[in-house]
Amino acid sequence: MNYKILKRARILLSLVFLVTITAAFIFFVSRETSLFSLFLKIQFVPSLLGIFSGGALVFVLLMLMTLLFGRVYCSTLCPLGVFQDIVSNFTNRFRSKKNRKYSFKRANNSIRYTILAITGVSLIAGITLPLVYLDPYSNWGKISNEIISRSEQLIHNGLSDIFPQTIFYRSYAFFALGSFLFALLFMLIVIIFSAFRGRLYCNTICPVGAFLGLTSKLSLFKPVIDKSKCNRCSLCVTKCKSECIDLETRTIDESRCVACFNCMQVCSKSGISYKFTFKSKNDKTQEGEKRESDIESGERRRALIAMGLMGTALAAKAINLGPVFKSAPKITGIAPPGALSIEHLKKNCTACHACIAACPNNIIHPASGEYGIDGILLPVLSFNHHFCSFECNECSKVCPNDALKPLSIEDKQLAQIGEAQFYLEKCIVHTDGTDCGACDEHCPTKAITMVPYGDTALYIPSLNTELCIGCGGCEYICPAIPDKAMVIHALAVHGRAERPTLDKQEKIKVDDFGF
Amino acid sequence: MERRNFIKTAILGGLAGAVNLNGNNLFAAGKMSVSASNDLVAVMGGEPREMYKKGIAAMGGISKYVKKGQKVVIKPNIGWDKRPEFAANTNPDLIAEIVKDCFIAGASEVTVFDHTCDEWQSCYRNSGIESAAKAEGAKMAFAHDEKYYKRVTLPNGVRLKEVLIHEAIIDCDVWINVPVLKNHGGARMTIAMKNFMGIVWDRRFWHANDLQQCIADCATYTKMPVLNIVDAYRIMTQNGPKGKSIEDVQTPKALFISADIVAVDTAAVRFFNQFRQMTLEEVSHIGIAEKMKVGTTDIDKLKVERIRIG
Repeated sequence: MNYKILKRARILLSLVFLVTITAAFIFFVSRETSLFSLFLKIQFVPSLLGIFSGGALVFVLLMLMTLLFGRVYCSTLCPLGVFQDIVSNFTNRFRSKKNRKYSFKRANNSIRYTILAITGVSLIAGITLPLVYLDPYSNWGKISNEIISRSEQLIHNGLSDIFPQTIFYRSYAFFALGSFLFALLFMLIVIIFSAFRGRLYCNTICPVGAFLGLTSKLSLFKPVIDKSKCNRCSLCVTKCKSECIDLETRTIDESRCVACFNCMQVCSKSGISYKFTFKSKNDKTQEGEKRESDIESGERRRALIAMGLMGTALAAKAINLGPVFKSAPKITGIAPPGALSIEHLKKNCTACHACIAACPNNIIHPASGEYGIDGILLPVLSFNHHFCSFECNECSKVCPNDALKPLSIEDKQLAQIGEAQFYLEKCIVHTDGTDCGACDEHCPTKAITMVPYGDTALYIPSLNTELCIGCGGCEYICPAIPDKAMVIHALAVHGRAERPTLDKQEKIKVDDFGF
Repeated sequence: MERRNFIKTAILGGLAGAVNLNGNNLFAAGKMSVSASNDLVAVMGGEPREMYKKGIAAMGGISKYVKKGQKVVIKPNIGWDKRPEFAANTNPDLIAEIVKDCFIAGASEVTVFDHTCDEWQSCYRNSGIESAAKAEGAKMAFAHDEKYYKRVTLPNGVRLKEVLIHEAIIDCDVWINVPVLKNHGGARMTIAMKNFMGIVWDRRFWHANDLQQCIADCATYTKMPVLNIVDAYRIMTQNGPKGKSIEDVQTPKALFISADIVAVDTAAVRFFNQFRQMTLEEVSHIGIAEKMKVGTTDIDKLKVERIRIG
């Protein structure tokens, strides 16, 4: 096999994924194109969490790929992985040739398998919290949204000053300091890791890397060093960003190998290649290989445990096992349409912030304490600067996990995400005795109507919560200061509003102007 | 000849008005626009483009208002993410025809914008106004951020003394106000004066500080539109100004034009009253504006031409 071509194909594909996924976060998916957001769904964690709602195909393909060739995902599809390769490559340009070299390092098994176990057990218990902080795709989403997209915004707005009539000013998105700092810190850690130790994050912290690594133990084809060809020149070792080639034993730790093909491509003796390695026990008779196969069977056991965890997590998901523990029941956060309930959101969202990027009104923000401590960074609505468009369902469409169920416009227009409450004593009509009606003006379902107010000539809002979907138009526009007279309260479980009445009226034909 | 014709029209028109007939039924169509100095023109029964053409001719033609080389702004109502048939926004065909006419009059550029309530790009797109205006060569101006607005003082304002107005209005030579006729839960009606809420940035202030007074206050702005063209091809008679369904819409196919914003609002309310009871007193910003000498509600004293098509 020509590994040069394979490597080039890998690099090309990986760049396509990195660019498209990042672009999905920069360009509002709803406006420019929805093409990019498709790539968000070809990711490991999203396909796992969305397995019962369209993710199954991608999940099965990713698993098959791993069981055949190892961690192809990590080197080719994972945007964070590709980003790390770029960082390593870039920093190497400032190093002397000698300092560019990687060397073999022992695996940090206790750390990575502990993290994997915690993530797996949490997932079974219906808690995605570890993935919120550690999933590589979701964190690349946060980095794209908080750092890359904001940088693009500066450039975009600079251009809008130069071409004011053709390039619109991108009003600055809501800034959540916590989320920004998390993304920045995460990015810095990954940059430092990859600048000095290649794929250290992937092989020490990343739960997806650990899981796919264990799965790779079972894969049919593995990179193997041909002992008859190898002259221990160590060229492959110096190129291995996973630092997983041990020349002493002339073995490759396939649990850490990310299938980048660098070693295969660089070996002048063609000493490393993919080999069909599914051995039966009878093959391992030689005394010298006894210990090796013991280690191997230990690792296989671990791999099977990991698969077992995954299977249990899927089973738990299938029977919809609730979260084992819940944070304080006080809920103030309004979950985006399609979230079904805050519980469902917490069980499926890994805070990739695709919905936040997709919202044309910038009303979805990373949560701070609205959902409790286990809901930090999850998407939450705020009506301070805008409200949820009646004709828009972008957030639900873009979610690659199962966290936001895709809603048709018709369903979205009936999906109750919150419920308005009217505080008469705050209302301008009541306090100032003047006309207002701003809430009624914005209400898309006419849950709010204006009715005669006492003996005055004024009209006051009247609220029918059965019709209210919690879009927040009324709260956003209510001019009462400091407390709004219309406030949307969160619903822990989303409801379904009554269909707005048709208000049929007679079609009147006039022949006169009336004056 | 023209004067004689005019007097004839005026007398017959007055008689016709008294017996609730319309003057134009008594004349051949060709003699419709006998006078180029009408104060108010009302058109009924045609398609938007056709009604505009007849209406503007009766107002003396667009060249009376738009001069060669001028920068023109056309300000429709594009407040909502609704398609034209919902009557939440100004009719796109009407806007296109006005744009076209301004260019014929020699306008150097025509800009169309509104400070929308719903998300602006969807409003521009789904109202049909962006594509219609651009097809005739107009520019759509951005109006979704405070940065596009400039501070203006209103020395005659009672509650609204200072306001942020869109730079396109400030920078243009003339502007044309093209609202759509709708009922409104807060202001009762939204017509020409209420359409000024789309040239300002902070609408919330108006709602919080006596909406009706603020609407009138903003109409004391020194740079008033040279024409107010009220689109009543489709009108929203209930659940306005956003509307819920197509049921909220009546289709009277009418159009009103005047340089007097109070007069055109008065005419529109009286027209609307035929569909749903609405007194001028209820729409109190109209009366306040008259008191503030913005214009007159006494349209019976104005030179009004009524045109019927078909």
